[in-house]
Amino acid sequence: MIVKDWCSYCGECSGVCPRDCIEVREYNLVFSQDCNDCGICVDACPLAALEIEEK
Amino acid sequence: MVEVIRTDVLVVGSGPAGSTAARFAAQGGVDVIMIDKKSEIGSPKRCAEGVSKEGLSHVGVELDPRWITKEITGVRMVSPDGTDVWLTEEEIELPEAGYILERKVFDKHMAMGAARAGAQIMIKTLAKGLRREADGSFTVICEKMGETFEINAKILIGADGPEGHIGKWAGLKSRVKPNRMESGIQYEMCNVTFEREGVIEFYVGSCAPGGYVWIFPKGDDIANVGLAVIADKADKPAIEYLDDFVKTCPYTKNAQAVELNVGGDPVMGLVKEMYGDNILLCGDAASQVNPLTGGGIISGMSGGMYAGQVAAEAIKAGDLSKKFLKEYEKRVKDDMGHDMEKYGKAADYLLELSDDELNDIAHAFQDVEFTKISTTQIVKALVKISPKAALKLRKFF
Repeated sequence: MIVKDWCSYCGECSGVCPRDCIEVREYNLVFSQDCNDCGICVDACPLAALEIEEK
Repeated sequence: MVEVIRTDVLVVGSGPAGSTAARFAAQGGVDVIMIDKKSEIGSPKRCAEGVSKEGLSHVGVELDPRWITKEITGVRMVSPDGTDVWLTEEEIELPEAGYILERKVFDKHMAMGAARAGAQIMIKTLAKGLRREADGSFTVICEKMGETFEINAKILIGADGPEGHIGKWAGLKSRVKPNRMESGIQYEMCNVTFEREGVIEFYVGSCAPGGYVWIFPKGDDIANVGLAVIADKADKPAIEYLDDFVKTCPYTKNAQAVELNVGGDPVMGLVKEMYGDNILLCGDAASQVNPLTGGGIISGMSGGMYAGQVAAEAIKAGDLSKKFLKEYEKRVKDDMGHDMEKYGKAADYLLELSDDELNDIAHAFQDVEFTKISTTQIVKALVKISPKAALKLRKFF
């Protein structure tokens, strides 16, 4: 997952993540290996600050 | 060897719910530690900051002018075609109202209340994981500025917000479905204009699919202007809805933002499991939020109050079992269970309405006389004027 630099670490993404795989730190987001790019967090992000990485 | 700190109660998260839990647990005479990942409790805010007067007194908070920005004396609802429904002193004799807080100050004061009651606070401390020990207690792995240590608690209280992991790590059914998690966004602005002083304003309809727009006054020309949407009903990111609204609304078109706030708001009603052996969840982590208004300060603090009380009682009784802690759920449900259910039904109905239907309701509301400002009164009036609403909501209101 690409986290844009305007992310405000509000935690919306972690709240909707069905796999509970996002750690919201004070100034950082950490996605665990469990992330399968389902994109639910991308749609929920109020700031459009997440983007699925092309593989 | 990793350092292990032992305590009776560990509260994760020091928002209003966590601080209230910590305060009541400490007042109950047990050892309490409260951790928060942030360097400043209460900041950045993720909230429109409205509370009722009655609610503050319910959770034992004395008013302090340092965290009150504006007294609320009324409500204005605006339908998609611009029809106003006013519920203010001009329409109603004795408004039951509230305040718009300064959460950055309020949250810190609530944490200080916990500290003064005896709780120990650790800021900039992140919960990284947890494990259950053989005796049933929980050990939370913590990280503070590069240092890892552990806190072992007889009772763990998860007040870690909508993004929280504590309940999920502990195996509780506390997940909020993505279509019940609102995406909230807000500007704090100046140069906002108001038709009437001290009125909280709600704009409903396609300006915020699945939610609404709010303008909450904070004194002078300052207001929180924000909205919440449900991602699967929305066709663009929340911020685009907000920017469109601010540009087109006559009251905000000259307003200037001095702050941007974002965050999730769980609006599904109480989570399925808010307690288990040695664990309690409160606040947004337990979805203790009014599903219609999205308001969760007082309900979260009430949850925190019961969590703190029951945690202290359990430790004193030496019984940390799920069976003993069920008392927590009982107090929460007695307090807010019915409201959660009825406002949930109201939300399910109202969020499905088209702009035209909302306009019709607003027109019919022009002839309704309200006697009291409350969400219940508004929905009751709606049930009276709309047969469709009556069909769905009559038995709840």
